[in-house]
Amino acid sequence: MSRQVGAKMPSKQKPMRYGHTEGHTDVCFDDTGSCIVTCGSDGDVRIWENLDDDDPKSINVGEKAYSCALKNGKLITAVSNNTVQIHTFPEGAPDGILTRFTMPVNHVTFSPDGTKVAAGSSDFMIKVVEVTDSSKQKTFRGHDAPVLSLSFDPKDVYLASASCDGSVRVWNIADQTCTTSWLLLQKCNDVINAKSICRLAWQPGTGKLLAVPVDKVVELFRRETWDSQFDLSDASITQPLNVVVWSPCGQFLAAGSVDGNVVVWNVETQQCIERMKHEKKYSICGLAWHPKYKQIAYTDNEGNLGLLENIGDVEKPNDKVASAVAKDYNDLFDGDDDDYLNGDVIEPPSSPKTGDHEDDADDLMQPPGHVRRAVIDDDDDNSLDIGLIKASSSLLEKEDDGEDQTGGFSALPPSSTQRPFYDGPMPTPRQKPFQSGSTPVHLMHRFMVWNSVGIIRCYNDEQDNAIDIEFHDTSVHHATHLPNSLGHTMADLSTEAILLACESTEELASKLHCIHFGSWDANKEWTVDVPKDEEIEAICLGQGWAACATSALLVRVFTVGGVQKEIFSLPGPVVSMAGHGEQLMIVYHRGTGFDGDQCLGVQLMELGMKKRQVLHGDPLSLTRKSYLVWVGFSAEGTPCYVDSEGIVQMLNRGLGNTWIPVCNTREHCKGKYDHYWVVGIHENPQQLRCIPCKGARFPPTLPRPAVAILPFKLPYCQVETEKGQMEEQYWRSVLFHSHLDYLSKNGYEFDENAKNQAVKEQQELLMKLFALSCKLERESRCVELAELMTHSVLNLAIKYASRSRRLNLAQLLSEVAVEKASELAAAQEDEEEEEDFQKRSSAGSSSSATKWGQLPGRNVQQDQEVEDDEEETDACEEAEETPEVHKEKEPNGFSKGVTSAEVNTPKPALVASSSRGRVNPFKVSSSKKEPVVPSGNVLDNMTKYSKKTSSSASRAADKQNPPVIKPLTPKPKTKQASAASFFQPRTPATNPGEKTVEEREEKAGNESQEVKVTAQENTENRRPKTGFQMWLEENRANILTDNPDLNEAEVIKEGMSRFRMLTSEERMVWTEKARGGRVSDSAEDKKEEASPS
Amino acid sequence: MEPAEVEFLAEKELVTIVPNFSLDRIHLIGGDLGPFNPGLPVEVPVWLAINLKQRQKCRLIPPEWMDVGKLEEIRDQERKEDTFTPMPSPYYMELTKLLLNYASDNIPRADEIRTLVKDTWDTRMAKLRLSADSFVRQQEAHAKLDNLTLMEINSTGTFLTQALDHMYKLRTNLQPGEGSHSQEF
Repeated sequence: MSRQVGAKMPSKQKPMRYGHTEGHTDVCFDDTGSCIVTCGSDGDVRIWENLDDDDPKSINVGEKAYSCALKNGKLITAVSNNTVQIHTFPEGAPDGILTRFTMPVNHVTFSPDGTKVAAGSSDFMIKVVEVTDSSKQKTFRGHDAPVLSLSFDPKDVYLASASCDGSVRVWNIADQTCTTSWLLLQKCNDVINAKSICRLAWQPGTGKLLAVPVDKVVELFRRETWDSQFDLSDASITQPLNVVVWSPCGQFLAAGSVDGNVVVWNVETQQCIERMKHEKKYSICGLAWHPKYKQIAYTDNEGNLGLLENIGDVEKPNDKVASAVAKDYNDLFDGDDDDYLNGDVIEPPSSPKTGDHEDDADDLMQPPGHVRRAVIDDDDDNSLDIGLIKASSSLLEKEDDGEDQTGGFSALPPSSTQRPFYDGPMPTPRQKPFQSGSTPVHLMHRFMVWNSVGIIRCYNDEQDNAIDIEFHDTSVHHATHLPNSLGHTMADLSTEAILLACESTEELASKLHCIHFGSWDANKEWTVDVPKDEEIEAICLGQGWAACATSALLVRVFTVGGVQKEIFSLPGPVVSMAGHGEQLMIVYHRGTGFDGDQCLGVQLMELGMKKRQVLHGDPLSLTRKSYLVWVGFSAEGTPCYVDSEGIVQMLNRGLGNTWIPVCNTREHCKGKYDHYWVVGIHENPQQLRCIPCKGARFPPTLPRPAVAILPFKLPYCQVETEKGQMEEQYWRSVLFHSHLDYLSKNGYEFDENAKNQAVKEQQELLMKLFALSCKLERESRCVELAELMTHSVLNLAIKYASRSRRLNLAQLLSEVAVEKASELAAAQEDEEEEEDFQKRSSAGSSSSATKWGQLPGRNVQQDQEVEDDEEETDACEEAEETPEVHKEKEPNGFSKGVTSAEVNTPKPALVASSSRGRVNPFKVSSSKKEPVVPSGNVLDNMTKYSKKTSSSASRAADKQNPPVIKPLTPKPKTKQASAASFFQPRTPATNPGEKTVEEREEKAGNESQEVKVTAQENTENRRPKTGFQMWLEENRANILTDNPDLNEAEVIKEGMSRFRMLTSEERMVWTEKARGGRVSDSAEDKKEEASPS
Repeated sequence: MEPAEVEFLAEKELVTIVPNFSLDRIHLIGGDLGPFNPGLPVEVPVWLAINLKQRQKCRLIPPEWMDVGKLEEIRDQERKEDTFTPMPSPYYMELTKLLLNYASDNIPRADEIRTLVKDTWDTRMAKLRLSADSFVRQQEAHAKLDNLTLMEINSTGTFLTQALDHMYKLRTNLQPGEGSHSQEF
C-alpha cells in the first residue's frame, strides 16, 4: 500500500519502519550519505543502507544510547553508563571512552572539522573533548539544570547549548565563558519532563544564524549581535518543536515537533516549503539532513525511522501539503479499504487508539495472531486493559466477520475527509471463544483448564511444547505428561476422559483429540479431523460424550469412545461451552452488542435418553460492559457463569429457569486490580472455589496457586439487618437446594439426608423470621411467612403466636394451616368427609374472633362443660395449663402487651410432629412449670417438648380430670368452609342475653367437637359423634325430603342452620347423648394418648 | 523435656494441605478432621500432613511465615534487638525442620528458608547463653525472658537449672565450712 507515488508527487514520505524498541532515538547520516545511522533505547546503533534495508548492521554500544554523532569514521555515542564512547565506523569496533560524566549524556555533537566532540550531560556540565586525545578537555559550567542539546559554531568559535533551566547559552570555546544567554525555554527539572529536547542548530557555512526551537516557532538569532533576527512558524505546528536542523547548504531549515510534524522552510523567503505529518503522531526526536540529497531522515521516540525525500522540489507549498494529506489517506485506503473502515468503526470509544486512524494502517496488514501478541505482550503482568483487548480483538474480528459488517457500513456517505462518519452507539467487538478455566493462549506457560477434576497445563517454550495433566484426586487417574506436537490450544477434563483440540495449520485440519482413560479396552485414544476450513472453537466433555463447536456454527457431539452422534447448528458464533452429566450448555453470540456490551445467548440441552432443550437460546444477562469469563456447571449440575465484573450467576430452576446472581467476587477483592479466577462451584456445601489473583485476572502457573473459597451471597436488600440477613439465607438455602429437586425429577440419586437438612434449615430460618416479625408487630407479614412454612413448623408458629398472646394472628395462622393441610389431604376425600362435616358445623356455629372477649365469669361453666372432653384429649397440655387457667381468662391476659421476654421464648411445644396432624393448636400449653428460657432458636425445643409431653401426660393421668379450659374458637378449616360460614345466616338473637348464653353453649359444643377431632386423629379409627352429628343423622331424612336436590355439603349446611334453630336445652340434650355414647371409651383413650407413641 | 517431646507437641500445629484424595470428615479423639476434597485446601495437624505427604496423598502449602522475605525480616529484627523478638510460630524451629525434611518440594526456596531459620535460631541461642551468663555472674535471684519458644527453653533449661543447683550447693557448702572454721577458732 505504501509505494503508490505518482511522478507528480514531488516529495515522498516513505512509511516509517521499525528501527529500535520504543524510546528515544537519534539519527545521523554518514559523511557521504551512503547510510543512515540510528541509535535507540535498546542500546544499539544500527547502520541502514537505505530505508528498505531489512538487515541493518547493529552495533551494541551499551544499555541505552541517548545520542550519536558520526564523522571521519568515528562514531560517538552517549550511553546510559554516563560515558561518551567512540566506535570505529563502519566496523563498529570499540575505540575507547572519550569522557565520563556523573549523569547520562543527553547530546553529543562533532565540531565541523571533526576534531572535537561536545557533550552535554544531565549533571549540568558541558565538555568539549579532542577526539584524538581525550585528555584535552574543556568544561563549561553555568547551566543550572541538565543540558539538553549542543551545537558547534561552524567557525569553531562558539558553542551553543540549551538546558532544562530554560536558558539557551552561547559559549566562547576558547576561554569557556558564556558569551550570551537567553531565557527562552520552559524550566523543568529533568530531561524526561522537558516539553522539548530543543535540538538547536547553527547555520552551516557562515554560521550567521543560530536556530533555536522555542515552543511552536523557530527563533533565529544573529551571530555577534545575538539578537533575534526573525521567527519561522507555520499554522500546521500546534505543538512544541523538538528538533531543528539545517540543510547542508544552509538554505533550508527543517523542524520536527513533538506531535510528529516535520516542516521545512526556505530561510531566505521564510516560507514553508514542506509539511509532513507523522503516521502515528509520535514525537520526532531525531532529524538529519542528507549531506548531498534533499532527503531528511527522522526518527520518533517510539523507535521508528522514516525518510522524507525530494524536499523543496516544487515551489507551491500549499499544493504540496494538500497532496501530502491526500496521499496519507491513499496509503491507508489503498487496496484495503474494507479493513480500514471496519477496524475503525469497530473500535470502541474507550480504546486509547480511537481517533488515531493512521496508526492501524500497518497493523491491519499483519496476521491476526501477530497483532494480538503484540498488544497483549505489553502487559504481561496480565493486568488487562479491556480497551486494549477489545481494540486488538477488533482487529482480529475483521477477518472473520468483516464482510457483512463492511457491507453495512460502506453504505454510509463518506465525509469530506473520506472517513466514515457514524455518531451512534458503537458496536462492541465480539469476544473470542474461550475455554472456561483457561488462561490466555499467548502465554508460554498457561492453564488449558482448571476444573473440579484436575488441571491441564501447557508449556510452550523453546525446548519444550508439552501438556501436563494433573488430577486433584489421584484415584481418578495418575498425572500425565503429553508432548504437544499438534499444538493443542483447547482442553477439557472429566473423570473419564481428556479432550484436546487444536486449530488447523496450513497442512493439517483442526483436530479433536480424546484420551478416554476411563475406557476398559486397550485403545484409549482417538482423533477426529473436522472438515477443512472448519475450526474447532470450543470443546467440552460430559458424561459419556464430548462435544465441540466449530467456526461453521456447528456443534458436533461424539460419544466418549469416538462415535459421531448428533450435529446441530448454532445460531451464532460460539463463545464457550460446558458439559456436566448429560447437560450441555453453549453460549454464543446472538448478535452485535453496543457500547461495550456483549450480546450473548445460551442454550442448555439434555443429551440423555430424553433429549430436550431446556434453554432455547435465551439472552445471557451480563453486567454492563462486561464479557463472559467462565461458564460451567456447579458440581451438582446447575448451570452457572461468571462475567468479567466478577458476578457469578446461577440458573434458578425454581423460577422458570431464570438467572440469579449468587456472588460478586469483586466484593471480596482487596485491591482494585485484584480478581478471583473461578475454578469451580459447589452447592453443597456452598463453595465458590476460585484462585485469588493479585493485580491480575488470571493466575500464573508458578508458583502453584492455591484455591480459596468464597461464600455465596444473594443480593438481597438490607442484609445488614437481621431480617434481610435471614431472608437472604432462606432464599439462598432454597436456591442452593433446588438442584435436589432437579436430581430427583431426573431420576438421579441424591442424598435424602441433605434434603431433610435443607428443609430443616429453611424452616428454622422461617421460624426465626416469624419470631422477628412477631416481635415487630407485623402480623400480616407473619401470615405471609406462614404461607412458606411446612405444616409442622406452621403449628409451631401457631403455638408461638398464641404464647405471645397474638391470638388473632394465631387464628389466622390456623386457617392457613388448615388450608395447607386440606391441600395435602385433598387426595383422601373419603376419609376427610366426616371431618369436613365437623369443620363446617363448627364453622357455622362459631363467630370466631368475637369469642376472645368473653367474660371471666364464664370459666366455671365452661370448665364443667368441657371437663369430660378434656379427659379424652391430650391430657398433658391441659395439666400444664391448669394453674394458669384463671389468669389466662382475665381480660388483661388477652391484651397485646406482650413482653419481649415472652416473645423471645417461643416455647414451641411442638404439637407439630406431622403424624399428629391437625391438633388444636390453640390449646394453651404455656405454663409456669416451663421456665421461660430465652432462646433464639425455636426449633431447639422440639425434642425437649416431646419428652415433656410424655411426662406431663402421666402427670395428668395422676391428677384426674383437671379443670381445663379451651378458650379457642374453632376455625373454618377450608376456604369453602369459611365461606360457607360467612354466608350462613346467624342464629336469630331475640335478645342479647339469650344470645350470650347461646354463644357460650355453642362454644362449648364446638370445643367439644374440636376436641373430638383431635381425639379422632389420635386414636385413628374411632370416630365418636358429636351432638350435632347425631342430630343430623336423625334429621337428615327430613332435610332431604324438604330439599331433595341437596348434595352432601348442602345437606350439612342446611342441617347446621336447622340445628341452630333448636333451643339450647335441645341442643344440650344432643350433646349429652353424643357424650353418653362415648363415655366408656374415654378412659382408654386417655391411656393411649398418655403412652408415648 | 527432650527435643523429641517438644517436636511431638509441635506436631499438633495446624498446616494447610491440598489433598489429592476424597475422604469424609474423620472423627478422632483430638477432634474432627476434614472433610478432604481433592484440590481443596484443608487444615490438618502436622503429623497428619507429614504422613499424607509421605504417602504422596497431598501437597503441602507452607505456613505464611515460611517465606524468604518474611524470615529475612525476622532474622534482621532478631539481630537488631537485644531482647528476644516474637517468633511467627511457637514451634518455628520444629515446623521448619519437619516440613523442610518431608515436604521441601512444596516449599519454594527451601534451602534459603532453612538457612534463615537456622540463623535466627543461632542468634537467639547466643542471646540466651549471654543472658544465662550474666544471670549467673550477677548472681541474680530471678530473670524474665519473653518470647522464648518451648524448644529454646528446653535447650538450656535442664542444664541451667542443674548448674544453678550445683552452684548453690557449692556456695552453701562453702559458707557453713567458713562458719565451722570460725567456730573452731
